[in-house]
Amino acid sequence: MAQANITNISSPVGESKPRIDAREKVTGAAIYTDDLQFGNALLYARIKRSPHPHALIKKIDVTKAQVLPGVKAVVTGEDFPGYIGLYLQDRFIFCRDRVRYVGDPVAGVAAISEEIAQNALDLIEVEYEVLEPVLDPEFGASPEAPALHPDLGQYVVAGFIFPEAGTNISNHFKLRKGDVDGAWEKCAAVIERSYRIPHIQHVPLEPHIAISRVDEKGEVTLWTSSQSPFAQRNLIAQSLGLSQSDMRVISPVVGGGFGGKAGVSMEALAVAIAMKVKGHPVKLRLTREEEFYTAFVRQGLVAHFKMGCDETGRLLAMENRFYWDGGAYTEYGVNIARAAGYSCTGPYEVPNVKGDSYCVYTNHPVGGPMRGFGMPEMHAGLEQCMDELALQIGMDAVDFRKLNCLKTDSILATGGRIHPIGLVECIEKVSEAIEWGKKAPPSAPNKRRGKGLAAMWKAPAMPPNAGSSAWVELAEDGKVNVGIGGQDLGQGSFTISAQMAAATLGVPYEWVRVAAPVDTRYSPYEWQTVASRLTWSMGNAIVNAARDVRRQVLDLVSEAWEETPDGLDIVNGVVISYKSEKETPLKNLVIYGLPKPDGSGWRGGPIIGRGNFMPNDVTGLDAETGQGEHGVVHYTTGAQAVELEVDLDTGQIEIIKGVAAFDVGKAINPEMVKAQMEGGLVQGLSSALFEQLQLKDGFVQNPSLVDYRIATSTDIPREMKSIIVEVPQDDGPWGARGIGEHSMVPTLPAIANAIYDAIGIRFDGPPFTAEKVYLAMLDAGTFGK
Amino acid sequence: MEYNTHPALPEFEYIRPASLAEASDFLSHHPDTARPFLGGTDVLVRMRDGFIKPEFLVDMKNLDGTNDLRFDPSTGLTLGAAVNMNRVIASPDVQAHYPVLAEACRSVASYQLRTRATIVGNICNASPAGDTIGACLALDGTLQVHGVNGPRQEPLGEFFLGPGKTTLRPGDIVTLIHFPLPPKGCAGKYLKLGRNQLSDLSIVGVTALGYPDFSCQSGYHFRLALASVAPVPLVPAEAETYLATHSITLKTIDEAASLSADACSPIDDVRSSARYRKQMARNLSAKALTEVWKNLN
Amino acid sequence: MAFHKITITINDELEQVVVPSNMTLMRMLRETQALTGTKNGCSAGECGACTVLMNGEPVNSCMILAVECDGGVITTVEGLAHDRQLDPIQEAIIEAGGVQCGFCTPGILISSRALLNRNPNPSDEDIREALVGNLCRCTGYMRIVEAVKKAAGMKIVAAPIPMPSD
Repeated sequence: MAQANITNISSPVGESKPRIDAREKVTGAAIYTDDLQFGNALLYARIKRSPHPHALIKKIDVTKAQVLPGVKAVVTGEDFPGYIGLYLQDRFIFCRDRVRYVGDPVAGVAAISEEIAQNALDLIEVEYEVLEPVLDPEFGASPEAPALHPDLGQYVVAGFIFPEAGTNISNHFKLRKGDVDGAWEKCAAVIERSYRIPHIQHVPLEPHIAISRVDEKGEVTLWTSSQSPFAQRNLIAQSLGLSQSDMRVISPVVGGGFGGKAGVSMEALAVAIAMKVKGHPVKLRLTREEEFYTAFVRQGLVAHFKMGCDETGRLLAMENRFYWDGGAYTEYGVNIARAAGYSCTGPYEVPNVKGDSYCVYTNHPVGGPMRGFGMPEMHAGLEQCMDELALQIGMDAVDFRKLNCLKTDSILATGGRIHPIGLVECIEKVSEAIEWGKKAPPSAPNKRRGKGLAAMWKAPAMPPNAGSSAWVELAEDGKVNVGIGGQDLGQGSFTISAQMAAATLGVPYEWVRVAAPVDTRYSPYEWQTVASRLTWSMGNAIVNAARDVRRQVLDLVSEAWEETPDGLDIVNGVVISYKSEKETPLKNLVIYGLPKPDGSGWRGGPIIGRGNFMPNDVTGLDAETGQGEHGVVHYTTGAQAVELEVDLDTGQIEIIKGVAAFDVGKAINPEMVKAQMEGGLVQGLSSALFEQLQLKDGFVQNPSLVDYRIATSTDIPREMKSIIVEVPQDDGPWGARGIGEHSMVPTLPAIANAIYDAIGIRFDGPPFTAEKVYLAMLDAGTFGK
Repeated sequence: MEYNTHPALPEFEYIRPASLAEASDFLSHHPDTARPFLGGTDVLVRMRDGFIKPEFLVDMKNLDGTNDLRFDPSTGLTLGAAVNMNRVIASPDVQAHYPVLAEACRSVASYQLRTRATIVGNICNASPAGDTIGACLALDGTLQVHGVNGPRQEPLGEFFLGPGKTTLRPGDIVTLIHFPLPPKGCAGKYLKLGRNQLSDLSIVGVTALGYPDFSCQSGYHFRLALASVAPVPLVPAEAETYLATHSITLKTIDEAASLSADACSPIDDVRSSARYRKQMARNLSAKALTEVWKNLN
Repeated sequence: MAFHKITITINDELEQVVVPSNMTLMRMLRETQALTGTKNGCSAGECGACTVLMNGEPVNSCMILAVECDGGVITTVEGLAHDRQLDPIQEAIIEAGGVQCGFCTPGILISSRALLNRNPNPSDEDIREALVGNLCRCTGYMRIVEAVKKAAGMKIVAAPIPMPSD
């Protein structure tokens, strides 16, 4: 259990310290991967990609490309037989016998310039036998669909993922609790709804990029914009038959991730190509267009909900079925299906549940982790159902949620009880901030105004043994260096790492540096920067490492002063004794130790602290029932509400006010927590109003910023309010839990609920474009014409 | 569908002629391989997307008078071909006498893009979605063209032949656009609907201009132009005639808006559907006309 | 393909650079001048990450040919601070918490500096409109708008933006 440091000194934890990396970012000095300089040994790579959503590769002829002046190597899947994948090894680095989505890598070229590499692609001849593509997940899950991965039954798979061999179902998560069939007749109100949530993409401002160099010993270095240097090292090494220690991954500053730069997507391509040009670094960067259809995308979802409540509004039963459009490879997506499966009730107590969450192969772009990891897609429909059920039973939507939502010790659908949470407080604060129940008049005769609210929950979705580690060392000036393996994607993990180390050690925040860039050769292990897990997991590791330093320092000084450690403290970088009032600055002892009192030598030496953290009580969930005493480490819960106006002339939606409240346990840096809430709300708003990868016959029709619209500065709410709720997490540092993803989860359904409040119309899927809204009003007779 | 985008621009020669004659000469001798450009905001994008592959890009900026923005109180406004849209927006003369032109420019893309984008470039690109074209039509803009046979005037009315197609021939260079003095008491409005609030290409754009004209039965002459609803920027003649011959009321504005929509032949594309475009053509026409009418009174 | 020798002032320093016809200003800055503060987000003039000042005005450098900039004056993000003194907009964006991943930040700072130069007291709406061509995926823009207002109120006077001498 984490303890705060001692007493009356202002701890940097809980303060809104300025970003530790702000100055380099505002001066243009921050080094992102494409900014690294390699001199004229650098080669450039481009990838030949499948033009078909589904086809067999009959023949690849690279001879013409190989002889183009300036080309140094052309590689194909022939040289790379190893499978690769995080939870399920279902993918090759380069396709070998078959392509499964438009953009699937078929060959790679390294050349002395990007232009030459690009021109060489046109000289690679590939013969395909085109196959019928699978373009819908429900169809893909049916017996009629051709199996896109005939070898699914032989793939190496994590123990908590359940593929169905011979089908396109790469994971089927089942939740069975109570007696759903018997519960319906007891319900006073039942609703059944279906939703189609389209694919969207992360759109980080910095596209994916990877630079790799293999030396003559065969040791690999990979520089890449990455959320997961250690996972990338692990997966790529395994696939290439390397020992993990023979590969080094370095991640400079990351220009946005949102999940898309986790796991392995295009990074392995750079390594594979580099293997053929030993000694040369090879740079592979995705164009923005490639980013849209060849990097990870967010899986599409077809969701069916059925839920019922008794006459008092108490939820009695839910039967929910999810078909995830996982795309061509679901090595990562299988866990999204799982997470949605065990979360399928939403943050509510429901005694009878039947949940089936299927991850399905299709010939669509590759689904992978995106902010929320299945929760935004699922809550999109679920939180609308909650509103509809409340309406049916004649209850206010907020009261309905407050009645049914999880409270401390509520029973979870997966078994076990939930830890202390502040979800009710979040709902109350948000409804207060939006002035729930008060209807403001529209701003003009051609507008309609509405309010909507939605709640959410999410647990970090990760293996039960995902670990963090940290080291802490000091220099002769007494200042601190903290080594971590987690990345700062912009969310501020480096800043709060410094705050937590400073607080634990007893030094000012300004004395602490974070050893960046993350480099697997020098940085300590971190599973991945995903799942909103760093503050909690890596935070614990940092606290442990800083405590280790503190213990060594106090042991050393107590011996030198012939006192006991419990009477000593470190305050503002000075070791003090409460008993004798002696003091000595840290810098006097952290490298050279202290002389022994009897003059017979020295004690101590360079002080270095280490710490790690790994959850040790996650029990797993039963394959048939999804039941387990402690299936996840914890949940972050929260709510959002919006007030909006619909323009009757165009269908355009303007968000007037967006409010959010999340129970983060403890805000290590309150302004940064609020910044996550704001950014998530806007990304959620963007997904609600604008975003959709328009897929037709397996092709993304809008792979560019021209036609894939994201929120600009003129699309944001006029007003945003972010509220921090703190019900401590007993095993989090200072009680902290994560927030990075959660702020994007309830936005879409809150908007959908507000649209309904304004014009009485719902949709079976986003985005709620002006066109969709207007034509729906037209067809519903809203205009009386 | 094929994805053609490249990481960078393909190879080409950059040509900077020193005079109009030199430019015209070069263009006419390389009709299929040379392409003129001003701000480059259309040409460079299409080159990167692989849609066009010119061997020569001919820089038309800094040629004889193409940078001039001049208002003459007796003859009107002259905009050199290379005058960027931000300059047009900021010009006090444009704001005072041709505000709808500034309004149209302001709706284009972003400030950065408008530092490069030009009205003449917008016109020569001849996209039916061009935001400034409607205002140029309504204000009776005339292009000055320098061709192999010397200079000539091209009124905009007959200039557009299809998406990306104009009456310009190889060797033709548009050096400026000239607008006569605006009719006395005129009011104008440009309404643009995009997928987001600002910065998008238009799903539908409506330019409306109106002024007192006693030669019209209604006492007013209205000009209309619609973007993104036809293969070319569309002037709905029937709607204009209707407004000239019927007393202006909210009802007749409504009817004119319907006629405006009837004249449209929009398509389904990645941005929007024909059905929505028809509806918006009507709604935005009504809105723009109503606002202009309010300002006329 | 021809190469052109151009003379160009970048962040107050006169440079002579040899560039191929098809090299954009963005690539010239990043690949020949080691000025990697200007970012490549799309190479299509859509995201604004490559925004620099050309003759005092913001442009998407990915959509300008380097050869067109002969005789021009360019300011990049590296040129905003003077003698280690940050421009007010740089100070303000740090204070307001308007920086997260930082990839959009250089372009945002350039566009904001140009806005404040032409409109020293912008409204929220003015700011949002001026920044519509600078996409940000992390912050939700609110703190960026706050930062520009803050910078407008700061007492530090920004160094003048260099302009071409003729």
